[in-house]
Amino acid sequence: MKLSRDGWAGLVVLAASLVLSGLTLELKANPLVPIGPGFYPRIVLGVTALLAALLVVTDWYAAKKAGPKVPADYAAVVVQFAVFGIYVAALPWLGFRIATFAYVAVTNALMDPPRGARQWTRAATIALASALATYFVFEHYLSVLLPRGRWTDF
Amino acid sequence: MYELLAAGLVNIAQVKYLLPLFFGTLAGVVGGALPGVTITMTIIVVLPFTFGLDPLQGLAAMTGVYVGGSAGGLVTAVLLGIPGTPAAIATVFDGHPMAKKGEPGRAIWLGVWASFFGGLLGGVFLIGATAPLAAIALQFGPWEFFSLFILAVSMVAGLTEASLLKGLIAGGLGLIVTVLGSDPVMGQERLTLGIDFVKGGIDFLPVLIGVFAFAQIMGEIERSGGKAQLAGSLERGVKLTVSHAKVIWEILSRPFQLLWFAFVGVLIGVLPAIGASAASMMAYDQAKKISRRPEKFGSGIPEGIIASESSNNANVGGSLVTIMAFGIPGDSVTAVMLGALTIHGIQSGPLFISQNPQLAYGIFAAYLLAHPIMVLILALGARWMLRIVTLPKAALFPVVLVLCVIGAYALNNTMANVYVLLVFGVLGYLMVKFGFPLAPFILGVILGDQIEINLVRSIMTDSNPWLFITRPISGGLLLASVLSVLFALWQHRRMQKKTAAADGDSDF
Amino acid sequence: MKKLIAGALAALLPLAAGAAYPERPIKLIVPWAAGGDTDNIFRPFAPLLQKQLGETVVIANVGGASGTRGAKEAKDSPPDGYTLYAVHDYIHSTYWAGVADVNYTDFEPICLISSTASVLTASPKTPWKSWQEFLADAKKRPGQITVGATLASTSHFFPALIEQATGVKFKYVSYEGLAPRMNAILGGHVDLTDSNLTQKGKVDAGQLKFLAIATEKRHPEMPNVPTLKELGVNVVYDVNRGIMVPKGAPAGVIAKLESSCAAAANEPAFAQAMKLQGTDVRYMGRPEYAKWLKQNDDLNRNLAKDLGLLKR
Repeated sequence: MKLSRDGWAGLVVLAASLVLSGLTLELKANPLVPIGPGFYPRIVLGVTALLAALLVVTDWYAAKKAGPKVPADYAAVVVQFAVFGIYVAALPWLGFRIATFAYVAVTNALMDPPRGARQWTRAATIALASALATYFVFEHYLSVLLPRGRWTDF
Repeated sequence: MYELLAAGLVNIAQVKYLLPLFFGTLAGVVGGALPGVTITMTIIVVLPFTFGLDPLQGLAAMTGVYVGGSAGGLVTAVLLGIPGTPAAIATVFDGHPMAKKGEPGRAIWLGVWASFFGGLLGGVFLIGATAPLAAIALQFGPWEFFSLFILAVSMVAGLTEASLLKGLIAGGLGLIVTVLGSDPVMGQERLTLGIDFVKGGIDFLPVLIGVFAFAQIMGEIERSGGKAQLAGSLERGVKLTVSHAKVIWEILSRPFQLLWFAFVGVLIGVLPAIGASAASMMAYDQAKKISRRPEKFGSGIPEGIIASESSNNANVGGSLVTIMAFGIPGDSVTAVMLGALTIHGIQSGPLFISQNPQLAYGIFAAYLLAHPIMVLILALGARWMLRIVTLPKAALFPVVLVLCVIGAYALNNTMANVYVLLVFGVLGYLMVKFGFPLAPFILGVILGDQIEINLVRSIMTDSNPWLFITRPISGGLLLASVLSVLFALWQHRRMQKKTAAADGDSDF
Repeated sequence: MKKLIAGALAALLPLAAGAAYPERPIKLIVPWAAGGDTDNIFRPFAPLLQKQLGETVVIANVGGASGTRGAKEAKDSPPDGYTLYAVHDYIHSTYWAGVADVNYTDFEPICLISSTASVLTASPKTPWKSWQEFLADAKKRPGQITVGATLASTSHFFPALIEQATGVKFKYVSYEGLAPRMNAILGGHVDLTDSNLTQKGKVDAGQLKFLAIATEKRHPEMPNVPTLKELGVNVVYDVNRGIMVPKGAPAGVIAKLESSCAAAANEPAFAQAMKLQGTDVRYMGRPEYAKWLKQNDDLNRNLAKDLGLLKR
């Protein structure tokens, strides 16, 4: 018997709920409210931990069969998440317009690698257009303020 | 009521509202037609545009997206055999064969008009039922709301296609998200994990945007790296002209079936977070059961298309009812609409319709008007739709994600929500990979604070905990939630016996 | 078209450093949900202020945790005059009651604009027809009459003052903000709450009952509601609303805001809008406001102490 991904997921959830439950113990009650701030979290965490434990147990005893292997490009997913993470991190420093231009250009190039000058121009145009169009529409017509760069003040 | 509705229609007919409604419907039709872009994603993309608008303008746009999206999916479903949205899966079964048999125009317009009539029937229900249901809900004290929300979460957990246990755990995880940061009653910090942006508590909208947008987009990237295009079966020169009178007659000559399908749609819509895909599948199944020629289903017969499309649009009406009367989103699309309401600081719930009659009837009016607009857009643009469907994902996805960032950031102009977006984007993707359904998770995140607040209020009003069970409505709702879990258990058992469990199938 | 091109250029070019304030939209944080009374007062004020400042003023409703979530966010915003904070007396009460660490001294006062009298309001499902009937019942059943309140905020202090003055005892239930309190009181899930003349329409429709108003004299908008004073309860209570900015804002910015606020608060349109909200315009400039804040803070500290809510 061995755990499948369900079992592992259950273990992670179980561990997380137990750790959080432990943290609720240090919460102090407020005299204005008869039940403290830890009361409801303890219920939720307790029930979730119980369910997670059940999942681990049922998974342990369940008959395992190999599902059909679906080809998946996990590398691309990781890269995309990473690029997006860098974009989010850079946003407050570079400002919306610069960061967005760079992000759209890079993502576009990664997903559909441009060949030749024409395709590069196209990718750059899409990036420029989307960065400026969103900025323009949101700041000027919809009064939605977008982040400004701390380094660039732009 | 009729005066209010008439006033609502006059009000919405102003350019100021008609324009967002039109663009919303257009966005919905296009988003619905794009395979891999769900209605939820479309509405997430439209969300930031509504921040700067007045509440009714924003909601008109979103109602348009909702109605347009439910219809837009059928074009791709019929012509390409790929559902543009999950709601159009059942449309593929008969729509695509009919198109292949040389009647693509008939197939599309059967779908469009079925959406139109189904939607309007849903609208009748929406307008008729919201106020009475809200009046009932006003009698709900904190005990009843607590039990109602518990029922909502447990029901959704049970209705997901994955295992019941994983559905419940997903719901629990959603509730856990809401206990992080601060308690909703006194704002006392708790379980912040030392992370700065968790301190104020986590807003549900960036969580929802992150979970749905990333699960969807990363899923596509994982399959194709984003490179693949939909070429192949495309014929640019298809003729879509058809006699509308004949098509409409084909639908209206089956009044009882139409009513039944619309009823199924509305019912699924009223039940929380199940969504239009279940509505159309169920209606299709019903159509097969009541038909005199069930063996013909799947070969391109009109009933199949009518069932699927009329019910998935009627479903929209049902979802809007629960959100307006109880403040519980009927699916992820209405969850975003709920978020849009809270951005403008409007409380949805039993007092919504009486406190904001202009807004409520404005939404009803927008819902009714969106249907002719949807027909108009499809009449003018059905052939352009095919080009849009072939838009390269590589250009589309980053722009969608940028709009998600704007949506999260603009909620209250802090980067904190963008970090939340990223964290939950990763979590949402992992949940899908591990076969945890997203719907109960999201419902948990949305209702968590409300569950806790109502629990605290109940205990503050009366310290007797048995009131949750002895108050008849509250007790009934709790009993129903226990029954829904037991029912789900029984059904999963039965299904497991029938078929080997399908793996990692996600449905938004 | 010209405007479009100009706008496009503005979007493209980095803004010249040191441009005169304000040169981009300004955010006004309202720490409660829209549709509540604070929102109803600042919504008509924002366009008037905007007219004076010459830049868009966007209202951001940041509700939650007895209004302290919005307060925290305002405090943590950069002190550049692009984030304003719509405040009322709760900033003192929540500080002294220990709900939040945000104090009024974390901000620079700009101006006070309005004052709204509190009204003790009863659910339609309660049997009382008058203050006297209510008081007799409350004395008979101590600790059983439920009051919906934003805990440790003004809607908690006001009924607590009545408790103190009359010797009755209430049971408090947390309902954050006026809108949810109305939900609860209309459905009869709480008996009493603090509201104000914005709810006049519901009283006229017979959905609510005003028991008594906490003003010195009867209010002209609602002359048949008795004052607490004439009923022999010495409680006068109102909620005062003003604008502040995070501490450290440049003097030029503060001056500009103060003069704009003065002009906006004295517009007849504002007085008109406030009349609809059962609110009096009460303007105070920066020095006067600052002095008043100090007094009000002491007052609230004493109140909190008297009411047994003091946590500092």
